[in-house]
Amino acid sequence: MNLVVDSVSKSFPGVKALDGVSLDLAAGEIHALMGENGAGKSTLIKIVTGLYAPDSGRVLVDGEPVAFASPRDALAAGVSAVHQERNLIPRFTVEENILLERLPTRRGFVDYAAVNREARRYLALLDGGIDARAKVRSLSVAQMQIVEIAKALSLEAKILLLDEPTASITEHETAALFKLLRRLRDDGVAIVFVSHKLEEVFALADRVTVLRDGKNVATGAPMAEMTRQRLVSLMIGREERVAQIGERRVDWSQVVLEARRLSTSLGHRENSFALHRGEILGLYGLVGAGRSELAHAILGAGRISEGELLIRGEPARIADMHEALTKFRIGYVSEDRKQEGLILMHSVMDNVAITLWRRLAGFMGLINPRKEARAVQPFVDRLEIRTPSLDRPVSNLSGGNQQKVSIAKWLAANVEILIVDEPTVGIDIKTKTYLHELIGGIARDGVSILLISSDMAEMITLADRILVMHGFRIVGEVANDHLYETTSKAIMSRIHALNETEPAAAD
Amino acid sequence: MNLFRRLLLVEWSGLAAAIVIGAGALALIAPNFLTEFNIYVMLRSLSVGLLVAFAQMITLGVGQMNIAVGAIGGMVAIAFGGAMEIYGLPVGAAVALALAIGAAAGLINGLLIARTGINAFIITLATASAFTGINFGITRSIPFYKMPPTLVAFGDQHLSAIPYLLVAPLAVAALLGLFFSRTAPGRQLLAFGGNPHAAELSGVSRERVVASAHVLSGLTTALAAVLAVAQLGSAQPTIGADWLLLSFAAPIIGGAALTGGYISVFGTMLAVFLIGLIQNGMVLAKVDPYWVQFVLGALILAAVGLNRWRAVNSGAA
Repeated sequence: MNLVVDSVSKSFPGVKALDGVSLDLAAGEIHALMGENGAGKSTLIKIVTGLYAPDSGRVLVDGEPVAFASPRDALAAGVSAVHQERNLIPRFTVEENILLERLPTRRGFVDYAAVNREARRYLALLDGGIDARAKVRSLSVAQMQIVEIAKALSLEAKILLLDEPTASITEHETAALFKLLRRLRDDGVAIVFVSHKLEEVFALADRVTVLRDGKNVATGAPMAEMTRQRLVSLMIGREERVAQIGERRVDWSQVVLEARRLSTSLGHRENSFALHRGEILGLYGLVGAGRSELAHAILGAGRISEGELLIRGEPARIADMHEALTKFRIGYVSEDRKQEGLILMHSVMDNVAITLWRRLAGFMGLINPRKEARAVQPFVDRLEIRTPSLDRPVSNLSGGNQQKVSIAKWLAANVEILIVDEPTVGIDIKTKTYLHELIGGIARDGVSILLISSDMAEMITLADRILVMHGFRIVGEVANDHLYETTSKAIMSRIHALNETEPAAAD
Repeated sequence: MNLFRRLLLVEWSGLAAAIVIGAGALALIAPNFLTEFNIYVMLRSLSVGLLVAFAQMITLGVGQMNIAVGAIGGMVAIAFGGAMEIYGLPVGAAVALALAIGAAAGLINGLLIARTGINAFIITLATASAFTGINFGITRSIPFYKMPPTLVAFGDQHLSAIPYLLVAPLAVAALLGLFFSRTAPGRQLLAFGGNPHAAELSGVSRERVVASAHVLSGLTTALAAVLAVAQLGSAQPTIGADWLLLSFAAPIIGGAALTGGYISVFGTMLAVFLIGLIQNGMVLAKVDPYWVQFVLGALILAAVGLNRWRAVNSGAA
């Protein structure tokens, strides 16, 4: 089957998401769909699968115009999608989720033996080691992603649309997914693949369509003729700029945060590190290595089981984020800004000032709104948060600007230690460069930063030293010479050395 | 977008229009509607309702519910009446005691919710039963009738059409407005309601916020109970029994988000006013009072329908 999108337009209140966009997808190809955030990729996928109706233009399957009224219609016609948002039912098992809308029955009852058999067939294709009988809510984010893909596969779709399927899965799972996608392609399935990771696109795709601001800037260009630079400049509309981090002076004599043989109830074993004043200490590892969990354990809820935590040289235990902020002057930028970083329906002002309210309260505990705006505005200006006014809800902001808001609240609170977790996940190239410069600037001002990231290039751009984490343990430290070649090799060798000595963790 | 659509997008516009149209229609068809006495009676019965609505509005703001508003109201009312009739406490001391009991009941709710992590609906459903049990266990369903004359007089006094009782809810409204817009605990309460996880990770103390929301709700409920006793002239164990529906209806009609994080003190006041107007109009039109329930239900559906429409059309959904 082939799919043609013919000059489709779609507007939402105040924004034209798609403006005459076209795409042609042939049977037996993997077609990359690229573009910055807000370029219209997800909207296009939602139109093809019937979640949105286009304002104008046509969608054709095998030359016939189609107008799916719902994803169910699209599925019946052999068009299946994996969206960025999770669409799983947490309390149901993996196998039930995979076969949800067509559970096999025997004499009117669900035939669980058949459910299990079917589900395991598709899970095996992905090689993710997931128990089909496990409840979805007990899985990691990466495992849930695998289940979503298995579900799409199980529908035997002839047209498969994958919206950032690799955003949160491990390299091992990605490799298995790619092997599978290539096999599906060879079987004649037409695949649309959305990813921000250029390496993946070059490794996988046959052709590429690039959107910018809701318009085509490349339509079905062969990947063989495409270079990395050309693709990036198509996406951002100009040449890529290298982040200017500048010189920083780390005060190696002052340790602000130190872990001594820290073990946690989450499974960390004897982790030690020291963060210095003005330093950016990288904590690198693949998804599932236990990096975010280590940050959570440090930040409270009594999950440290053994070892010592020292803050500015004093032994400390942090009860919760409230104490982390007020007593220890530590901030935390969460990797999940929508769920954990922001109050989406509230204003930019509220989201930044939330860390300040107690300090701003004056006579009778009242907060002067003008004083509040004066406290917030400089940070909105400094971080170049693009918003028409401070009263605008953050849900109206772009992903990059939302991330700036979730950083701004900690700068406004004047923290001395900032734990930053995957600051640029799902953020486009232009804003990413800006955020890197921002984080560098914060460290230059004397704030100590613990940077958690699985983005190797980001680590090498920003960090002074890089700790490598694997299996809930810090397995090595790499001095960063800011050269991608040497440092990335040093990091990977730490991880690989480990895989060879630990047969249990081998592939 | 035309003017009408734009007006509909303002949250309390529908309410204000309904009140103007309703009052105008009543003035036309019922000649005794605009009399000083009728308006006094209406405002007097609204006074308790306003406080009950505020009590629920506070818990909705933090993203939770207080199913126990009526039960706390009944328990406080008989404690208040009993303290005066049996122990001879002066009115001032009895009011203080009543408020303390309301706050304590709220504190129990809040701490149970914050410490166990169990859903507020379940906790307050359970404590509602417990509080009602205390109420009927003590009174055996027999009211306290001998209320101090000063209290009963206060419940009846009025300045032309304005009952003295109305002063309490108006003062509470002003304080709540200030609390939610201008104080750290108030703003934190709404922030927590908007996204508990994000608020907590921004340094907002979960236990403090949840406990304070329920304490405030209990306090406001207790004040409503005191007013109800003054209005009725006796401390009935059944006070509060019919508060629950109104307590949710008014804040929701007033534009509060059921998911938490957004409330409107002014909208809630207008909603109570509209409900009072409907009740009053149906009495004047000699409609069976049981049908008031039906109209209230229809009104809630209309209000949430309008809220949904507004969310879709402002691009928030």
